[in-house]
Amino acid sequence: MRCGLLIASVLLLSGCAHVGVQPWERDVLAKPEMSLDADPLDAAIDDHIYFSKEASSGGRGFGGGGCGCN
Amino acid sequence: MSDTKNPADLNLALAAATCALLGIGATEPVAAAEADTWSFDSSLLYYGESDDRVQDVSAAISAQRKFDDERVLGLSLTADTLTGASASGAIALDRPQTFTSPSGKATYTTQAGDVPLDDTFKDTRFALNASWTQPLARLYTVSGGLGFSTEYDYTHIGANLSLARDFNKRNTTVSAGLAWSQDDIDPVGGAPLPLAQMLDVGQGGNKAGSDSKDVLDFLVGLTQVLNRTTVLRINYSYSDASGYLNDPYKILSVVDPVTGDTLTRTPTAGLQGPTGVYRYENRPDSRVKQSLYAEMKHSFGAPVLRVAYRFMTDDWGIDSNTLETSLRWPLGGSSYIEPQLRYYTQSEADFYRANLVAGQPLPQYASADFRLGNFDATTVGVKFGHKTAGGNEWSTRLEYYQQTGDIPSDQIIGNQANRPQYPDLSAVIVQFGYRFGLR
Repeated sequence: MRCGLLIASVLLLSGCAHVGVQPWERDVLAKPEMSLDADPLDAAIDDHIYFSKEASSGGRGFGGGGCGCN
Repeated sequence: MSDTKNPADLNLALAAATCALLGIGATEPVAAAEADTWSFDSSLLYYGESDDRVQDVSAAISAQRKFDDERVLGLSLTADTLTGASASGAIALDRPQTFTSPSGKATYTTQAGDVPLDDTFKDTRFALNASWTQPLARLYTVSGGLGFSTEYDYTHIGANLSLARDFNKRNTTVSAGLAWSQDDIDPVGGAPLPLAQMLDVGQGGNKAGSDSKDVLDFLVGLTQVLNRTTVLRINYSYSDASGYLNDPYKILSVVDPVTGDTLTRTPTAGLQGPTGVYRYENRPDSRVKQSLYAEMKHSFGAPVLRVAYRFMTDDWGIDSNTLETSLRWPLGGSSYIEPQLRYYTQSEADFYRANLVAGQPLPQYASADFRLGNFDATTVGVKFGHKTAGGNEWSTRLEYYQQTGDIPSDQIIGNQANRPQYPDLSAVIVQFGYRFGLR
């Protein structure tokens, strides 16, 4: 399983070398709203609400603090 | 194809190219040029469940200070005030039910036909997080964080460390991180002994003191620029929790195997106490969760579409799927509206039970916590944002959350079929946000 993951990662990474943009083509990607972390506070609030009400949590990154939420 | 006809876009493109040539991180090249500044993101949130269940008012502020050389300090503070009632796990009956409150010092009563809610719940929570990010070598970025949160019956401390490396002209970023946390739980009235019975007010012996749990998280991620308008992120995370994983306030009704009604109980003469037989829950003392998360952002000219999907599975038998999407649609030059949609579905834990059946041997683990049950949840929302002339931004977000679950049909006994079973939940979320900077 782990070996498979490693091979998959290497293949993915070598595949990635063929996609992407040149540095001067980053005009759209440079916009704040295109950042994958554009709204960190909204993301933290959502994570906290859903962590309190559902059995799943995380995925996007590390959680911002546990709680004994009822 | 090109939309650099606009001088502002041309400036962005030039700034991005300059930063890339200088070897400055390319994910946010424009922001990177604004060193030595503080920026703040603040929010005020109201979360309110229907039927007088949980109400939460939360204020959060996060500050970010950018230094030269791409070093960034992040600080955040959150304060929450929670009140209201929460489903206890006991089933509804055709007669009123009285329970001993978690403190063991009082009782509360649920009316006939209602799903029992424990309304003794009130809490204030403070959380503080600090993080530091800096380049380690030309293509490496390291970041670390510390977190602390405290509430009446709960204390959390945590630390995390991540390393990221850019490849392929910074179109590809691979990251790996570790997080550790320790939580101390000091439940009101003590942590119930596993599957211990609820006793009369003032009677002890069914509860112990405080307890704790440790959580170790591991995450690997890949961020990939697919083309000029699309970026993709894929994360795999592994989480290992061990220690006290029970909810000390959740109970199960012990029911008659034929009627499905909770066994009646008479409190000791002269004492107040439960009018039925209830037992506190017990969960395994370890849990391993794994999740795969994929997120994509795509720009259609000015509108930006975000789609995210997460699959999670754990060794408690819970599988979940989450799909989120939002579309940020500009309104004029300085405002936007963003409809948001989220769908979540989970299967129940192996030890989830609507109730315990009298006369049968007690299982090792059992919980009637609705959050470990089989349910779907939908969130529909909209966010509106406006950028002021000074470059600050305020926003408002309104969301509606609806959870609908069901109890496995083989667990429904006798009269239970005619009563409300799963404590469906709906909530309104209202959030105001303001972002501002200081130079």
